[in-house]
Amino acid sequence: MIDTALFLLVDGLTNGLIYALLALSLVLVFTVTRVVNIAQGEYVMLGALTLADLLQGRMPGTLYLLIGGLALCILLDAGRWRRDWRGALLFATGLIAVAIAAALITRMALSLHFPVIAMMAVALLLVAPLGVLIYRFTVHPIPDASTIVFVIISVGVSMAVQGLGLLIWGASPYPVEPIAAGGLMAGPVFIPYQAIAIMVVALLSMGGLYLFSEHTLIGKALQASAMNRLGAQFCGIPVNLAGGLAFLLAAAFSALSGMLLAPLITANYEMGFMVGLKGFVGAAMGGLADYPLSLAGVMIVGGLESTSAYLASAYRDVLVFSLLIPILLWRNARQRVETR
Amino acid sequence: MKKISVAAACAAWLMSALAAGAADKPELRIGSVVAMTGPASALGLPEKNALELLQEQIASDTSLPFTVKFITYDDASDPTKAVNNVRKLITEDNVHVVICCTTTPTSMAILETVTQAKVPNISLALGQSVIEPVKDRYWIFKTPSTDQLQIQVLVDDMVKRGLKKIAFLGLEDSFGEGGWVALQAVAKAKGVEIVAAERFSRTDTNFTPQALKVRQASPGAVYIHAIPPSSALVHQALKRVGYTGPIYHSGGSANNAFISIGKADVEGALLGTTPVLVYGELPDSNPLKPVITKFAALYEKRFNVPKVDIFPGQSWDAGNIAILAASNAVKAGAKPDNLEAFRAALRDKLEGVKEFVAVGGIFNYSPTDHLGLDQRSTFISVVKNGEFRLYNAK
Repeated sequence: MIDTALFLLVDGLTNGLIYALLALSLVLVFTVTRVVNIAQGEYVMLGALTLADLLQGRMPGTLYLLIGGLALCILLDAGRWRRDWRGALLFATGLIAVAIAAALITRMALSLHFPVIAMMAVALLLVAPLGVLIYRFTVHPIPDASTIVFVIISVGVSMAVQGLGLLIWGASPYPVEPIAAGGLMAGPVFIPYQAIAIMVVALLSMGGLYLFSEHTLIGKALQASAMNRLGAQFCGIPVNLAGGLAFLLAAAFSALSGMLLAPLITANYEMGFMVGLKGFVGAAMGGLADYPLSLAGVMIVGGLESTSAYLASAYRDVLVFSLLIPILLWRNARQRVETR
Repeated sequence: MKKISVAAACAAWLMSALAAGAADKPELRIGSVVAMTGPASALGLPEKNALELLQEQIASDTSLPFTVKFITYDDASDPTKAVNNVRKLITEDNVHVVICCTTTPTSMAILETVTQAKVPNISLALGQSVIEPVKDRYWIFKTPSTDQLQIQVLVDDMVKRGLKKIAFLGLEDSFGEGGWVALQAVAKAKGVEIVAAERFSRTDTNFTPQALKVRQASPGAVYIHAIPPSSALVHQALKRVGYTGPIYHSGGSANNAFISIGKADVEGALLGTTPVLVYGELPDSNPLKPVITKFAALYEKRFNVPKVDIFPGQSWDAGNIAILAASNAVKAGAKPDNLEAFRAALRDKLEGVKEFVAVGGIFNYSPTDHLGLDQRSTFISVVKNGEFRLYNAK
């Protein structure tokens, strides 16, 4: 009995760590742009499948997505050519340079057979800019839209990206090599090294993000935009750049989480959505704004998931998503106390 | 309008007269609707290929009492399109028999259409609900094997090994539910007790708690009803929590993805399979072996594929069974030119198909059985050195 409980606890915490990077991404995006990004999980899928392609020596489909997105970006900028052709030319050249650089780096990685860690870096370079592109296409044109509009848009983005994933990679799952095979026994529980890698990366990312936002100018600009968008604008902070940066970092964190997750469950086109939603439940605990509380939230989600999968497996998702109700009640009560 | 139809009828009469003059034989029209595009195209395209191959093979066959015309449409994996195209086949192309459709949802959608028009239909779908209850599915037959048949063979093996307590692990979608219902029925009939039943979904990231629960129920065998990747991942999780007994899988896992994901962990996994996947290892005395060998050679050469899978055989069998029933109907005196009467006669002869050795197994249709397959057509394969091998030669 004690053994089982201990087992589920460790299993749940490992599980929760997988959602931690997602919760981090969601909080980052929401605080800076007020977007509740339901599509955040899709970067998990993109990261995992891109890495799978790179490791198996195929040209990743993500590269074509990136090039297509950049081309669309240049097209959307067409109106600027008459007003300010120099600026537009510079912008277009820059984007074309990015596309060429991405293609060259990918080619090099494939022909030189980079090790796994380097391949992960290349995959990050390919997936993270997609976050900025999606920001440019969906959030940038309507900066003053309400939260609910952004939620609906992000649902659409999620569907579109998942559809593209199915189109590019098909429905079959791709096995991905782990960074380190095997694992260790913690009492009765087997912990794969991959899970430990996820923990290390999650902690490093959180620490990195903390240092970045506390000790760099750009980080402080991000924080300012998060606290008060209008005020930040008055202080001369380009809030659109801050939004793009938030999407970039969030895409990178989520893609990273996907690459670490893929060796445990394979990479496939529908892997991201559920992970994203469970990360969301955890982040809701912190009101999508508080990093430590969100982290606690995903751990509770992970623990509840493991326990309910053990006790009543058919209802585990129901139980996990029902957790939102007590979380919201608790937050509501807390807010009332604060305002009083 | 009337003038046109009269003209068309004249033209049709003239054409059929000409054709009859050339071959001196009536024409059998087989209409088929398969999913050449859409989500089920991985199944539908090979099915279309096999029908094409059958058409080429049959063209030179002079022993048949008729010439055969195949008319094939695409339903794009969409039930509405399937219904429209089946209607077109029945009313415009005047087919004698319909082969439709690739998936269970599309096959269910056309039931009403073929039943009302009184046209025999041979479905290529997996679902048992397509042909059951038989009294409401008077015009419907099917060629692919079913979950229930495979589960029967697997449970028989468990019983033979003296494993009377088993656990179930399955997907929580309609596929998993189908397996669960079938397993409960089979287990009850064979006196096997199900001591644990756990569910998971394709998008889960962790399967360990369910595996632990199953191990703690200490079953003699575990049956997993899922598709890769989750079927292989659940298998791995069972190994990780220390379960050492035999693990059985549904036919949904009998593909290469299962092995490439599960690797060494799925060594020894037992899977329900159709004969096509293991025919090379069957003893020469098995009547299925020469039939499948011949079909595989034809198909692999014609479409340049390394190894034939289960789907083309299903439409190949459907086409062959339709032709067999039609020639029996002609022998009994039915005339293909008399459309309605011939459709009914063909249906009756389908129920009279006995011991027909085909690619998917040995078919014995009857008024109470429109699946026609039994345990002789279902095999168990085992994963050995990273390959599927035949487990129990019959």
